[in-house]
Amino acid sequence: MTIREAAESLRRRRFSALELTTATLGRIERLNPTLRAFLTVTAEQALKQARQADADLAAGNDRGPLHGIPVAVKDIFHTRGVLTTAGSPIYRNFVPDRDAFAIARLEHAGAVMLGKLNMHELAYGITSANPHFGAVRNPWNGKHSPGGSSGGSGAAVAAGLVYAALGTDTGGSIRIPASFCGTVGLKPTYGRVSRRGVMPLSWSLDHVGPLTSSVRDAALLLNAIAGHDPADASSSRYPVVDFVPDADCPVRGLRIGFPENFFFERVDADVELCVRGAVARLESLGANVKPLKVPDIAAMNATARVILLCEASAMLEPHLADRGQFGPDVLALLDQGGLLPATDYIHAQRLRRQMQREFARIWSSVDCLIAPTTPNTAPRTGDTTVKLGGHEEDVRLATTRLVRSMNLLGLPALSIPCGLSGDGLPVGLQIIGPAFEEALILRVGAAMEDGGVGIPPCPVG
Amino acid sequence: MKDWAATAKAAGLDIPAKDISRIVQPLNGLEEVFRPLAESLTPEMEPAVSFRADEEQA
Repeated sequence: MTIREAAESLRRRRFSALELTTATLGRIERLNPTLRAFLTVTAEQALKQARQADADLAAGNDRGPLHGIPVAVKDIFHTRGVLTTAGSPIYRNFVPDRDAFAIARLEHAGAVMLGKLNMHELAYGITSANPHFGAVRNPWNGKHSPGGSSGGSGAAVAAGLVYAALGTDTGGSIRIPASFCGTVGLKPTYGRVSRRGVMPLSWSLDHVGPLTSSVRDAALLLNAIAGHDPADASSSRYPVVDFVPDADCPVRGLRIGFPENFFFERVDADVELCVRGAVARLESLGANVKPLKVPDIAAMNATARVILLCEASAMLEPHLADRGQFGPDVLALLDQGGLLPATDYIHAQRLRRQMQREFARIWSSVDCLIAPTTPNTAPRTGDTTVKLGGHEEDVRLATTRLVRSMNLLGLPALSIPCGLSGDGLPVGLQIIGPAFEEALILRVGAAMEDGGVGIPPCPVG
Repeated sequence: MKDWAATAKAAGLDIPAKDISRIVQPLNGLEEVFRPLAESLTPEMEPAVSFRADEEQA
Protein backbone atom coordinates (compact mmCIF):
# COMPACT_ATOMS: atom_id res chain seq x y z
CA MET A 1 0.00 0.00 0.00
CA THR A 2 1.36 3.42 -0.92
CA ILE A 3 1.10 6.55 1.23
CA ARG A 4 -1.52 7.93 -1.13
CA GLU A 5 -3.62 4.79 -0.72
CA ALA A 6 -3.21 4.76 3.06
CA ALA A 7 -4.07 8.46 3.27
CA GLU A 8 -7.23 7.87 1.25
CA SER A 9 -8.22 4.95 3.51
CA LEU A 10 -7.64 7.03 6.65
CA ARG A 11 -9.97 9.71 5.37
CA ARG A 12 -12.64 7.17 4.36
CA ARG A 13 -12.40 5.68 7.88
CA ARG A 14 -11.47 2.25 6.49
CA PHE A 15 -8.95 2.16 9.31
CA SER A 16 -7.54 4.59 11.84
CA ALA A 17 -3.99 5.90 12.20
CA LEU A 18 -3.80 3.92 15.43
CA GLU A 19 -4.79 0.70 13.64
CA LEU A 20 -2.34 1.41 10.85
CA THR A 21 0.47 2.13 13.30
CA THR A 22 -0.33 -0.91 15.44
CA ALA A 23 -0.28 -3.17 12.38
CA THR A 24 3.01 -1.69 11.24
CA LEU A 25 4.59 -2.10 14.68
CA GLY A 26 3.48 -5.75 14.63
CA ARG A 27 5.20 -6.24 11.30
CA ILE A 28 8.38 -4.65 12.67
CA GLU A 29 8.27 -6.93 15.70
CA ARG A 30 7.93 -9.96 13.44
CA LEU A 31 10.46 -9.12 10.71
CA ASN A 32 13.04 -6.83 12.28
CA PRO A 33 14.91 -9.53 14.21
CA THR A 34 15.80 -11.00 10.81
CA LEU A 35 16.19 -7.84 8.76
CA ARG A 36 17.85 -5.65 11.42
CA ALA A 37 16.47 -2.58 9.68
CA PHE A 38 15.57 -0.76 12.90
CA LEU A 39 18.03 0.17 15.64
CA THR A 40 15.43 1.88 17.82
CA VAL A 41 11.66 1.42 17.69
CA THR A 42 9.77 4.26 19.38
CA ALA A 43 6.52 2.33 19.75
CA GLU A 44 5.10 4.29 22.66
CA GLN A 45 5.74 7.63 21.00
CA ALA A 46 4.33 6.32 17.71
CA LEU A 47 1.10 5.13 19.31
CA LYS A 48 0.70 8.49 21.04
CA GLN A 49 1.25 10.33 17.75
CA ALA A 50 -1.20 8.01 15.99
CA ARG A 51 -3.92 8.67 18.59
CA GLN A 52 -3.33 12.40 18.19
CA ALA A 53 -3.50 12.04 14.39
CA ASP A 54 -6.88 10.32 14.68
CA ALA A 55 -8.19 12.97 17.07
CA ASP A 56 -6.99 15.76 14.78
CA LEU A 57 -8.60 14.18 11.72
CA ALA A 58 -11.87 13.69 13.59
CA ALA A 59 -11.76 17.36 14.60
CA GLY A 60 -11.25 18.40 10.99
CA ASN A 61 -7.59 19.33 11.50
CA ASP A 62 -6.14 17.58 8.45
CA ARG A 63 -2.41 18.17 8.09
CA GLY A 64 -2.22 16.73 4.60
CA PRO A 65 -1.23 13.48 2.92
CA LEU A 66 1.36 12.41 5.54
CA HIS A 67 -1.13 12.82 8.39
CA GLY A 68 -1.15 9.57 10.38
CA ILE A 69 1.34 7.80 8.08
CA PRO A 70 4.02 5.63 9.79
CA VAL A 71 7.56 6.60 8.80
CA ALA A 72 11.08 6.13 10.16
CA VAL A 73 14.43 7.80 9.64
CA LYS A 74 18.06 6.79 9.29
CA ASP A 75 19.82 6.90 12.65
CA ILE A 76 21.84 9.89 11.52
CA PHE A 77 19.02 12.43 11.99
CA HIS A 78 18.87 14.15 15.35
CA THR A 79 15.65 13.19 17.09
CA ARG A 80 14.71 14.95 20.31
CA GLY A 81 14.87 12.57 23.26
CA VAL A 82 15.64 9.54 21.05
CA LEU A 83 19.03 7.81 20.81
CA THR A 84 20.92 8.82 17.65
CA THR A 85 24.01 6.71 16.99
CA ALA A 86 24.95 7.27 13.32
CA GLY A 87 25.70 3.56 13.47
CA SER A 88 28.80 4.16 15.56
CA PRO A 89 29.85 3.45 19.15
CA ILE A 90 31.15 7.03 19.26
CA TYR A 91 27.53 8.14 19.63
CA ARG A 92 26.23 5.11 21.52
CA ASN A 93 24.79 7.34 24.27
CA PHE A 94 23.94 10.43 22.25
CA VAL A 95 20.40 11.68 22.79
CA PRO A 96 19.80 14.99 20.98
CA ASP A 97 17.79 17.73 22.62
CA ARG A 98 16.19 18.90 19.38
CA ASP A 99 14.96 17.50 16.10
CA ALA A 100 16.69 17.83 12.75
CA PHE A 101 14.98 20.25 10.37
CA ALA A 102 13.60 17.42 8.21
CA ILE A 103 12.24 15.56 11.26
CA ALA A 104 10.45 18.67 12.49
CA ARG A 105 8.96 19.09 9.02
CA LEU A 106 7.69 15.49 8.97
CA GLU A 107 6.14 15.86 12.41
CA HIS A 108 4.53 19.14 11.35
CA ALA A 109 3.03 17.24 8.40
CA GLY A 110 1.47 14.77 10.85
CA ALA A 111 3.66 11.74 10.12
CA VAL A 112 3.90 9.07 12.82
CA MET A 113 7.54 8.41 13.74
CA LEU A 114 8.27 4.70 14.28
CA GLY A 115 11.95 4.96 15.08
CA LYS A 116 15.52 5.00 13.86
CA LEU A 117 16.97 2.88 11.07
CA ASN A 118 20.21 0.95 10.86
CA MET A 119 22.89 2.14 8.48
CA HIS A 120 26.48 1.73 7.39
CA GLU A 121 28.75 2.94 10.18
CA LEU A 122 28.84 6.76 10.10
CA ALA A 123 27.23 6.65 6.64
CA TYR A 124 30.71 5.90 5.28
CA GLY A 125 30.13 2.85 3.08
CA ILE A 126 27.66 1.01 0.93
CA THR A 127 26.99 -2.37 2.56
CA SER A 128 25.17 -1.52 5.84
CA ALA A 129 27.00 -4.51 7.32
CA ASN A 130 27.39 -2.57 10.52
CA PRO A 131 30.06 -4.17 12.74
CA HIS A 132 28.62 -2.63 15.90
CA PHE A 133 24.86 -3.04 15.46
CA GLY A 134 24.56 -5.94 13.03
CA ALA A 135 24.30 -6.26 9.26
CA VAL A 136 21.05 -5.15 7.64
CA ARG A 137 19.62 -7.88 5.43
CA ASN A 138 18.09 -7.38 1.99
CA PRO A 139 14.37 -8.31 2.20
CA TRP A 140 14.53 -9.81 -1.31
CA ASN A 141 17.23 -12.26 -0.27
CA GLY A 142 18.65 -12.27 3.23
CA LYS A 143 22.05 -13.41 2.03
CA HIS A 144 22.47 -10.19 0.07
CA SER A 145 23.32 -6.64 1.08
CA PRO A 146 20.58 -4.00 1.11
CA GLY A 147 23.14 -1.44 -0.04
CA GLY A 148 23.97 1.64 1.93
CA SER A 149 24.66 3.68 3.65
CA SER A 150 20.88 4.10 4.16
CA GLY A 151 20.46 0.30 4.14
CA GLY A 152 17.97 0.16 6.99
CA SER A 153 15.85 2.75 5.19
CA GLY A 154 15.81 0.72 1.96
CA ALA A 155 15.12 -2.57 3.73
CA ALA A 156 12.36 -1.10 5.90
CA VAL A 157 10.50 0.40 2.95
CA ALA A 158 10.92 -2.70 0.77
CA ALA A 159 9.69 -5.00 3.57
CA GLY A 160 6.69 -2.81 4.34
CA LEU A 161 7.91 -1.95 7.84
CA VAL A 162 7.28 1.73 7.08
CA TYR A 163 5.51 3.70 4.37
CA ALA A 164 8.49 5.98 3.87
CA ALA A 165 11.94 6.57 5.27
CA LEU A 166 14.46 9.35 5.21
CA GLY A 167 18.04 8.71 4.22
CA THR A 168 21.15 10.66 3.37
CA ASP A 169 23.23 10.49 0.21
CA THR A 170 26.89 11.55 0.09
CA GLY A 171 28.07 9.24 -2.70
CA GLY A 172 24.90 7.33 -3.57
CA SER A 173 23.66 6.36 -0.11
CA ILE A 174 19.96 6.85 -0.91
CA ARG A 175 20.00 5.62 -4.51
CA ILE A 176 22.12 2.50 -3.89
CA PRO A 177 19.80 0.97 -1.26
CA ALA A 178 16.84 2.02 -3.38
CA SER A 179 18.35 0.13 -6.31
CA PHE A 180 19.29 -2.97 -4.30
CA CYS A 181 16.02 -3.13 -2.31
CA GLY A 182 13.66 -2.24 -5.17
CA THR A 183 12.35 1.03 -3.75
CA VAL A 184 12.17 4.57 -5.02
CA GLY A 185 14.95 6.82 -3.73
CA LEU A 186 15.34 10.54 -4.34
CA LYS A 187 18.49 12.58 -3.87
CA PRO A 188 17.28 16.15 -4.27
CA THR A 189 19.41 19.06 -5.46
CA TYR A 190 22.12 20.15 -3.02
CA GLY A 191 20.51 22.85 -0.89
CA ARG A 192 16.92 21.76 -1.53
CA VAL A 193 16.55 20.05 1.88
CA SER A 194 18.22 21.41 4.99
CA ARG A 195 21.06 19.36 6.51
CA ARG A 196 20.53 20.94 9.94
CA GLY A 197 20.52 18.29 12.61
CA VAL A 198 21.96 15.61 10.34
CA MET A 199 25.33 14.29 11.52
CA PRO A 200 27.72 15.35 8.76
CA LEU A 201 29.96 13.04 6.81
CA SER A 202 30.97 15.50 4.09
CA TRP A 203 29.49 18.98 4.38
CA SER A 204 29.66 19.78 0.69
CA LEU A 205 28.42 16.40 -0.58
CA ASP A 206 25.73 15.37 1.96
CA HIS A 207 22.11 15.38 0.78
CA VAL A 208 18.85 14.46 2.59
CA GLY A 209 16.04 12.65 0.78
CA PRO A 210 13.26 10.06 0.94
CA LEU A 211 12.97 6.35 0.14
CA THR A 212 9.43 5.19 -0.67
CA SER A 213 7.49 2.53 -2.51
CA SER A 214 6.24 4.84 -5.26
CA VAL A 215 7.40 7.94 -7.12
CA ARG A 216 4.41 10.01 -6.02
CA ASP A 217 5.09 9.07 -2.41
CA ALA A 218 8.64 10.36 -2.78
CA ALA A 219 7.18 13.60 -4.09
CA LEU A 220 4.89 13.83 -1.06
CA LEU A 221 7.89 13.46 1.25
CA LEU A 222 9.83 16.09 -0.69
CA ASN A 223 6.86 18.47 -0.40
CA ALA A 224 7.11 18.10 3.37
CA ILE A 225 10.88 18.48 3.82
CA ALA A 226 11.97 20.91 1.07
CA GLY A 227 12.53 24.57 1.75
CA HIS A 228 14.92 27.24 2.93
CA ASP A 229 16.52 26.98 6.34
CA PRO A 230 18.60 29.99 7.39
CA ALA A 231 20.47 27.79 9.87
CA ASP A 232 22.00 25.68 7.06
CA ALA A 233 24.61 27.64 5.13
CA SER A 234 24.01 25.54 1.99
CA SER A 235 20.21 25.80 2.11
CA SER A 236 18.73 27.32 -1.03
CA ARG A 237 16.06 29.98 -1.41
CA TYR A 238 15.04 28.44 -4.74
CA PRO A 239 11.22 28.38 -4.85
CA VAL A 240 9.53 25.22 -3.62
CA VAL A 241 6.75 23.92 -5.86
CA ASP A 242 4.23 21.09 -5.52
CA PHE A 243 6.42 18.15 -6.54
CA VAL A 244 3.61 15.58 -6.89
CA PRO A 245 3.10 14.65 -10.54
CA ASP A 246 -0.42 14.94 -11.94
CA ALA A 247 -2.46 11.79 -12.55
CA ASP A 248 -1.82 12.31 -16.23
CA CYS A 249 1.85 13.25 -16.49
CA PRO A 250 2.72 13.53 -20.15
CA VAL A 251 6.25 12.92 -21.38
CA ARG A 252 5.50 13.37 -25.08
CA GLY A 253 8.28 15.36 -26.69
CA LEU A 254 10.41 15.41 -23.57
CA ARG A 255 14.07 15.04 -24.54
CA ILE A 256 15.56 12.15 -22.61
CA GLY A 257 19.33 11.82 -22.76
CA PHE A 258 20.58 8.25 -22.89
CA PRO A 259 24.34 8.11 -22.28
CA GLU A 260 26.40 6.32 -24.92
CA ASN A 261 29.56 6.38 -22.84
CA PHE A 262 30.51 5.37 -19.30
CA PHE A 263 27.12 4.38 -17.84
CA PHE A 264 26.89 1.06 -19.71
CA GLU A 265 30.55 0.11 -19.49
CA ARG A 266 31.05 -2.85 -17.15
CA VAL A 267 27.38 -3.30 -16.33
CA ASP A 268 25.67 -6.58 -15.40
CA ALA A 269 23.72 -7.94 -18.40
CA ASP A 270 20.44 -8.12 -16.46
CA VAL A 271 20.83 -4.50 -15.35
CA GLU A 272 21.42 -3.34 -18.90
CA LEU A 273 18.45 -5.33 -20.20
CA CYS A 274 16.06 -3.92 -17.59
CA VAL A 275 17.20 -0.32 -18.03
CA ARG A 276 17.05 -0.45 -21.82
CA GLY A 277 13.58 -2.03 -21.59
CA ALA A 278 12.35 0.77 -19.32
CA VAL A 279 13.73 3.43 -21.64
CA ALA A 280 12.02 1.74 -24.60
CA ARG A 281 8.78 1.92 -22.63
CA LEU A 282 9.33 5.63 -22.04
CA GLU A 283 9.93 6.10 -25.75
CA SER A 284 6.67 4.29 -26.49
CA LEU A 285 4.94 6.86 -24.27
CA GLY A 286 6.12 9.61 -26.62
CA ALA A 287 9.40 10.69 -25.07
CA ASN A 288 12.18 11.65 -27.44
CA VAL A 289 15.10 9.46 -26.38
CA LYS A 290 18.39 10.94 -27.56
CA PRO A 291 21.71 9.10 -27.31
CA LEU A 292 24.44 11.45 -26.10
CA LYS A 293 27.98 11.54 -24.80
CA VAL A 294 28.37 12.72 -21.22
CA PRO A 295 31.49 14.43 -19.80
CA ASP A 296 34.19 12.41 -18.03
CA ILE A 297 32.33 10.74 -15.14
CA ALA A 298 35.44 8.84 -13.97
CA ALA A 299 37.18 12.19 -13.45
CA MET A 300 34.17 13.43 -11.48
CA ASN A 301 34.24 10.31 -9.32
CA ALA A 302 37.92 10.82 -8.50
CA THR A 303 37.28 14.46 -7.66
CA ALA A 304 34.31 13.61 -5.45
CA ARG A 305 36.36 10.95 -3.66
CA VAL A 306 39.10 13.48 -2.81
CA ILE A 307 36.51 15.87 -1.37
CA LEU A 308 34.78 13.12 0.59
CA LEU A 309 38.01 11.64 1.96
CA CYS A 310 39.23 15.05 3.14
CA GLU A 311 35.95 16.31 4.61
CA ALA A 312 35.11 13.03 6.37
CA SER A 313 38.59 12.78 7.89
CA ALA A 314 38.38 16.37 9.10
CA MET A 315 34.93 15.70 10.55
CA LEU A 316 35.99 12.57 12.45
CA GLU A 317 39.59 13.57 13.30
CA PRO A 318 38.74 14.26 16.98
CA HIS A 319 37.77 10.60 17.40
CA LEU A 320 40.75 9.03 15.60
CA ALA A 321 42.85 8.77 18.74
CA ASP A 322 40.81 5.68 19.59
CA ARG A 323 41.12 3.64 16.39
CA GLY A 324 39.38 0.64 17.92
CA GLN A 325 35.98 2.31 17.77
CA PHE A 326 35.89 2.21 13.96
CA GLY A 327 35.19 -0.73 11.69
CA PRO A 328 38.13 -1.65 9.43
CA ASP A 329 36.59 -0.32 6.21
CA VAL A 330 35.72 3.07 7.74
CA LEU A 331 39.12 3.33 9.41
CA ALA A 332 40.86 2.68 6.08
CA LEU A 333 38.92 5.55 4.48
CA LEU A 334 39.68 7.89 7.40
CA ASP A 335 43.37 7.05 7.11
CA GLN A 336 43.31 7.78 3.39
CA GLY A 337 41.69 11.18 3.96
CA GLY A 338 44.31 12.07 6.55
CA LEU A 339 47.09 11.56 4.01
CA LEU A 340 45.75 13.85 1.30
CA PRO A 341 47.22 17.36 1.35
CA ALA A 342 45.06 20.47 1.71
CA THR A 343 46.12 21.51 -1.79
CA ASP A 344 44.42 18.42 -3.23
CA TYR A 345 41.20 19.36 -1.47
CA ILE A 346 41.36 22.84 -2.97
CA HIS A 347 42.16 21.42 -6.41
CA ALA A 348 39.17 19.08 -6.11
CA GLN A 349 36.86 21.97 -5.28
CA ARG A 350 38.26 23.89 -8.27
CA LEU A 351 37.73 20.89 -10.53
CA ARG A 352 34.21 20.62 -9.17
CA ARG A 353 33.35 24.11 -10.46
CA GLN A 354 34.93 23.35 -13.83
CA MET A 355 33.03 20.05 -14.13
CA GLN A 356 29.77 21.71 -13.09
CA ARG A 357 30.09 24.21 -15.95
CA GLU A 358 31.02 21.53 -18.45
CA PHE A 359 28.18 19.21 -17.44
CA ALA A 360 25.59 22.01 -17.51
CA ARG A 361 26.02 22.28 -21.29
CA ILE A 362 24.17 19.01 -21.83
CA TRP A 363 20.92 20.63 -20.64
CA SER A 364 20.74 22.61 -23.88
CA SER A 365 20.16 19.37 -25.79
CA VAL A 366 18.21 17.19 -23.30
CA ASP A 367 15.77 17.75 -20.43
CA CYS A 368 17.01 14.89 -18.27
CA LEU A 369 19.21 11.79 -18.37
CA ILE A 370 18.42 8.14 -17.70
CA ALA A 371 21.06 5.60 -16.69
CA PRO A 372 21.43 2.56 -14.47
CA THR A 373 21.64 3.43 -10.76
CA THR A 374 24.12 0.68 -9.97
CA PRO A 375 26.01 -1.49 -12.47
CA ASN A 376 25.17 -4.56 -10.39
CA THR A 377 22.34 -5.99 -8.33
CA ALA A 378 22.80 -6.45 -4.58
CA PRO A 379 26.03 -8.32 -3.84
CA ARG A 380 26.14 -11.01 -1.18
CA THR A 381 26.81 -9.67 2.30
CA GLY A 382 30.54 -9.87 2.92
CA ASP A 383 31.57 -9.77 -0.73
CA THR A 384 34.46 -7.34 -1.18
CA THR A 385 34.64 -7.57 -4.96
CA VAL A 386 32.18 -7.87 -7.81
CA LYS A 387 32.81 -9.18 -11.32
CA LEU A 388 31.49 -6.94 -14.09
CA GLY A 389 32.33 -7.16 -17.77
CA GLY A 390 35.06 -9.67 -17.01
CA HIS A 391 36.74 -7.31 -14.52
CA GLU A 392 36.99 -7.97 -10.79
CA GLU A 393 36.23 -4.65 -9.05
CA ASP A 394 36.18 -3.41 -5.48
CA VAL A 395 32.51 -3.64 -4.51
CA ARG A 396 32.38 -0.11 -3.05
CA LEU A 397 33.94 1.53 -6.08
CA ALA A 398 31.76 -0.47 -8.48
CA THR A 399 28.56 0.23 -6.62
CA THR A 400 29.18 3.97 -6.37
CA ARG A 401 30.54 4.28 -9.91
CA LEU A 402 27.31 5.51 -11.54
CA VAL A 403 25.94 7.63 -8.69
CA ARG A 404 28.81 9.51 -7.05
CA SER A 405 29.19 12.20 -9.73
CA MET A 406 25.73 13.61 -8.99
CA ASN A 407 26.83 14.38 -5.43
CA LEU A 408 29.77 16.32 -6.84
CA LEU A 409 27.47 18.24 -9.18
CA GLY A 410 24.66 18.53 -6.63
CA LEU A 411 22.09 17.56 -9.26
CA PRO A 412 18.79 15.83 -8.40
CA ALA A 413 18.60 12.11 -9.17
CA LEU A 414 15.69 9.72 -8.72
CA SER A 415 16.19 5.96 -8.58
CA ILE A 416 13.23 3.76 -9.46
CA PRO A 417 12.97 -0.02 -9.73
CA CYS A 418 12.77 -1.18 -13.34
CA GLY A 419 12.91 -4.98 -13.20
CA LEU A 420 14.24 -8.08 -11.54
CA SER A 421 17.42 -9.92 -12.42
CA GLY A 422 17.47 -13.60 -13.30
CA ASP A 423 18.11 -14.43 -9.65
CA GLY A 424 15.18 -12.34 -8.45
CA LEU A 425 16.99 -9.22 -7.25
CA PRO A 426 15.79 -5.68 -8.03
CA VAL A 427 17.36 -3.50 -10.70
CA GLY A 428 17.25 0.30 -10.46
CA LEU A 429 17.54 3.10 -12.97
CA GLN A 430 18.19 6.75 -12.19
CA ILE A 431 16.67 9.85 -13.74
CA ILE A 432 18.99 12.83 -13.46
CA GLY A 433 17.86 16.40 -13.99
CA PRO A 434 19.16 19.97 -13.95
CA ALA A 435 19.49 21.68 -10.56
CA PHE A 436 16.15 22.18 -8.76
CA GLU A 437 14.22 20.28 -11.44
CA GLU A 438 12.97 17.60 -9.03
CA ALA A 439 9.43 18.10 -10.34
CA LEU A 440 10.59 17.14 -13.83
CA ILE A 441 12.42 13.95 -12.85
CA LEU A 442 9.53 12.93 -10.61
CA ARG A 443 7.16 13.44 -13.55
CA VAL A 444 9.30 11.21 -15.75
CA GLY A 445 9.52 8.61 -12.98
CA ALA A 446 5.77 8.66 -12.41
CA ALA A 447 5.13 8.33 -16.14
CA MET A 448 7.34 5.25 -16.24
CA GLU A 449 5.68 3.82 -13.15
CA ASP A 450 2.21 4.49 -14.61
CA GLY A 451 3.42 2.94 -17.85
CA GLY A 452 4.19 -0.35 -16.15
CA VAL A 453 7.89 0.05 -15.34
CA GLY A 454 8.45 -1.49 -11.92
CA ILE A 455 8.63 -4.69 -9.94
CA PRO A 456 6.19 -6.79 -7.93
CA PRO A 457 6.02 -6.19 -4.16
CA CYS A 458 8.82 -7.74 -2.13
CA PRO A 459 7.65 -11.24 -1.08
CA VAL A 460 9.13 -11.03 2.45
CA GLY A 461 6.86 -11.79 5.40
CA MET B 1 53.99 6.97 -6.65
CA LYS B 2 54.05 8.63 -3.25
CA ASP B 3 55.56 7.02 -0.19
CA TRP B 4 52.42 7.00 1.94
CA ALA B 5 54.18 5.69 5.04
CA ALA B 6 56.60 8.62 4.88
CA THR B 7 53.71 11.01 4.28
CA ALA B 8 51.95 9.71 7.38
CA LYS B 9 55.10 10.02 9.45
CA ALA B 10 55.75 13.57 8.22
CA ALA B 11 52.17 14.53 9.08
CA GLY B 12 52.57 13.07 12.56
CA LEU B 13 49.83 10.51 11.95
CA ASP B 14 50.07 7.39 14.03
CA ILE B 15 48.90 4.84 11.46
CA PRO B 16 50.19 1.29 12.01
CA ALA B 17 52.22 -0.21 9.15
CA LYS B 18 49.63 -2.92 8.44
CA ASP B 19 46.96 -0.24 8.07
CA ILE B 20 49.18 1.79 5.74
CA SER B 21 49.71 -1.24 3.52
CA ARG B 22 45.94 -1.65 3.20
CA ILE B 23 45.42 1.87 1.84
CA VAL B 24 48.36 2.13 -0.52
CA GLN B 25 46.53 0.59 -3.46
CA PRO B 26 43.38 2.74 -3.29
CA LEU B 27 45.44 5.90 -2.74
CA ASN B 28 47.69 5.12 -5.68
CA GLY B 29 44.65 4.39 -7.83
CA LEU B 30 43.10 7.72 -6.89
CA GLU B 31 46.39 9.54 -7.42
CA GLU B 32 46.67 8.11 -10.92
CA VAL B 33 43.36 9.64 -12.00
CA PHE B 34 43.35 12.77 -9.88
CA ARG B 35 46.89 14.13 -10.38
CA PRO B 36 46.56 14.82 -14.13
CA LEU B 37 43.22 16.52 -13.48
CA ALA B 38 44.71 18.76 -10.81
CA GLU B 39 47.64 19.62 -13.08
CA SER B 40 45.27 20.65 -15.86
CA LEU B 41 43.67 23.42 -13.79
CA THR B 42 44.18 27.01 -14.86
CA PRO B 43 44.70 29.81 -12.31
CA GLU B 44 41.35 31.52 -12.88
CA MET B 45 39.40 28.42 -11.81
CA GLU B 46 38.37 29.15 -8.21
CA PRO B 47 37.27 26.52 -5.71
CA ALA B 48 33.56 25.74 -5.32
CA VAL B 49 33.77 26.36 -1.58
CA SER B 50 32.14 29.69 -0.93
CA PHE B 51 32.10 32.12 1.95
CA ARG B 52 29.31 34.69 2.03
CA ALA B 53 29.87 37.35 4.64
CA ASP B 54 26.34 38.67 4.28
CA GLU B 55 24.87 35.37 5.48
CA GLU B 56 27.09 34.94 8.49
CA GLN B 57 24.66 37.01 10.56
CA ALA B 58 21.75 34.65 9.84
